[in-house]
Amino acid sequence: MAEAKTDKDDKVIGSRLMMGARERRFRSIGSRIGHSTLILIASSSLIALLFIFYFIIKDAFPFFRLEGFREFLGSSRWYPSREEAEFGALAIFIGSGLVTLGAILFSVPVGVLASLCLSDILPFSLRQVVKPVIEMLAAIPSVVYGFFALVVFAPMLQEKGGSLLSAAALVVLIPLAAILVIVTSDLLSGMFTRNVRKISRVAAGLAGSAVSFYFISRIYVFLNGLEIASGTNALNASVILGIMALPTIVSVSEDALNAVGRDLREGSYALGATRAETLVKVVVPAAKSGITAAVILGVMRAIGETMVVWMASGNAARIPKPWFNLLEPVRTLTATIAGDMGEADHVTGSARYHVLFAMALGLLLFAFISNFVSEMIVRKSRRSGS
Amino acid sequence: MEVGTRKLLDRSFTSVGFFAIILMGMALLILLQPIIVRGLKAFIFRGTVEYREMSLEQFGRGNAEALARDLDEALEARKPVYDILDSFEEEMKESGPEFRRQYRSDFSELKGLITELLGPREGAKEKALIRKKYGQTRYDRALIKLHQVLFVEGYDYSDTSGMGKSIETPRAELFAGTTIERLFGVLESDIEKMLKPKMTLYWRFLFDESKDAHFFGGIWPEMLGTLYLSIGSMIFAIPLGIITAIYLAEYAGHGKFVSLLRTCISSLAGVPSIVFGLFGLAFFINTMHVSSSKSVLAGSMTLALLVLPTIIRASEEAILAVPRGYREASMSLGAGKWFTIARVILPAALPGILTSTIISLGRAAGETAPIIFTAAVSVGKPLGLFETLSQPTPALPWNIYNLATEHEAVDEIRHVQYGMVFTLVAMVLLLNLTAILLRARITKKLRG
Repeated sequence: MAEAKTDKDDKVIGSRLMMGARERRFRSIGSRIGHSTLILIASSSLIALLFIFYFIIKDAFPFFRLEGFREFLGSSRWYPSREEAEFGALAIFIGSGLVTLGAILFSVPVGVLASLCLSDILPFSLRQVVKPVIEMLAAIPSVVYGFFALVVFAPMLQEKGGSLLSAAALVVLIPLAAILVIVTSDLLSGMFTRNVRKISRVAAGLAGSAVSFYFISRIYVFLNGLEIASGTNALNASVILGIMALPTIVSVSEDALNAVGRDLREGSYALGATRAETLVKVVVPAAKSGITAAVILGVMRAIGETMVVWMASGNAARIPKPWFNLLEPVRTLTATIAGDMGEADHVTGSARYHVLFAMALGLLLFAFISNFVSEMIVRKSRRSGS
Repeated sequence: MEVGTRKLLDRSFTSVGFFAIILMGMALLILLQPIIVRGLKAFIFRGTVEYREMSLEQFGRGNAEALARDLDEALEARKPVYDILDSFEEEMKESGPEFRRQYRSDFSELKGLITELLGPREGAKEKALIRKKYGQTRYDRALIKLHQVLFVEGYDYSDTSGMGKSIETPRAELFAGTTIERLFGVLESDIEKMLKPKMTLYWRFLFDESKDAHFFGGIWPEMLGTLYLSIGSMIFAIPLGIITAIYLAEYAGHGKFVSLLRTCISSLAGVPSIVFGLFGLAFFINTMHVSSSKSVLAGSMTLALLVLPTIIRASEEAILAVPRGYREASMSLGAGKWFTIARVILPAALPGILTSTIISLGRAAGETAPIIFTAAVSVGKPLGLFETLSQPTPALPWNIYNLATEHEAVDEIRHVQYGMVFTLVAMVLLLNLTAILLRARITKKLRG
């Protein structure tokens, strides 16, 4: 009885395992259909990207037909709502560039140092504390940063901007000068014979401190005397954008630093290098491409950001004088798109509507190219690394 | 270089690194501190008797008897103020035109300010705007208003090289020698009795509709709009993202097409958010006509494109993190590829996928630029579920911008703005915290 049952079971299992030819064909067609649907769905991001390009170009093109390139890129007279409308966007492009430059000047040194500290210096337990801080900085919505810039930071800059800037300069410059003086006096004293070395070192140190004290005090007095006419300016937007770009820069360059093998580090230590020397002369050069990619991603984050610059940059479409003056209000591409589209909404088809798409096209091309470049860099380094 | 110098350099490098980390931590603290401290004031504050009156009349909440008692006491305390004002009016009538000319504009300004502070006088004409019906409802605002009553702000331009300096002179000096001079002392000493502030917990801030352009009430329409938009975007993004991730992790090899696909995904992640907004306007609304103008549906679709790359990448990572043994065991038991993916790999990768989804949900909730042209309006009612297909909605991120820059009385509704910012930040950070905890559990589990 029991035997018969197993026999029967075997037959059932056998018929399940071995398909007939018809069934097999059916299955293969089915799997082919499934496979192609899968590919179709998987290409949705490709399709989306193509559509984005197509629709932005489609709506940007009429602007160039109506107004041409020359005024758009060559003039800084931005009067889109006048009877005789002018669409010179040069000042806006420069505004975007200036704000991004300011953000990068702040966030690259801080970000790379922080990532070095995270990857090589901090003990594991502290790293677990710092990681969530970075994640939180990345998670906070941009409008919240913008609100902070407008409501908290701008009045602060306007009221005590001079003392704020001078204090920041002191915090950065004094340690820097001290290190510089010690190193140069050390190097200089190396040139003398042994018996005068100590004296020459002290002398060089004193001279160096006197010079640096003079310069630092000059800078301090200059910054302290600054009066900031409006708190919503390029500096405000730059600082906040810099903070927003930090998480990107830190996490990408930390990945790059971690990818540098232990053997390189150990070799350097074995040669008697200190940790700082190992990091600066061995690890950073080895992770150079990853850090470059991190900087590019940071630039993209800063230039594509809308809400912060819209709320905090002052939105004045003129070129600051001199061009690097961060204390003047500027207007950026993203803020122009966001601010003008509301008014231009009713006149779909006008040059005023299409110029915003032309700007978006500029942003899109910039993002696309820099993304491509950073990916190339990373891919190349990966190939040469392995 | 000497060994001492090298050691010093090493140490200073370490401390500079620490400084960078501390700078980041401080940035976070400086950012969050005012948001938390002032954001909580939208929920917990000292509400005046005017607040309780408003609450009863506009929302039907509160104890009518206690309010009547409080109001009586407050009116009793306010009586001297009105008496002084009346007697000054008498004085103006009796004295000559010179006197009248001197004080008329100052007096009407003062009267206006006192009305703003204490509310319209009893028996005055009923005002149309709700905000004009009541005095200061929040005691902190009332103190600021009182300061405006007591002092006149002016600017000193005597130093022509710099900006004008703001100087304050007591308003009493304007009225020196008249009966009204007494008024300022009375106001300053008795303001607490006139307004009777009480600690108030207004948790319904989250669930009330706003009254009179956010002067009173809460942020429910914005909350609901944000929920619709973020959940709506997930409805589109999650299936697309997970299926793409399955394809990339399980089927795709290293061909040209796959590498193109990966480039596209990372490019899509790099597209500025405002460009997504323009695309949403040009494609979903102007070309596809998913709705006649802005709508939650169009906004969700735009946001879905924005978060798609994040979901794809994180889900792919989660799928790849499932140990090979699971696949092999399933295959060796005779299961097909689909079966293995659907019943073995996906369940194992689910927590990882969930983590990425939660983080993307937070991102979608906080994005502003893509919804400006596709979904957001400044003022609106809370929407029903099916209205989302065709109606635009207010949303937290957009209304934070709108109230902080375009509202007619930006300074007077700071507490609402901070309350909104606090709510949004709390939402996003809570979601992220959940994700972090979830991830910690997964790592623990995978390590065994």
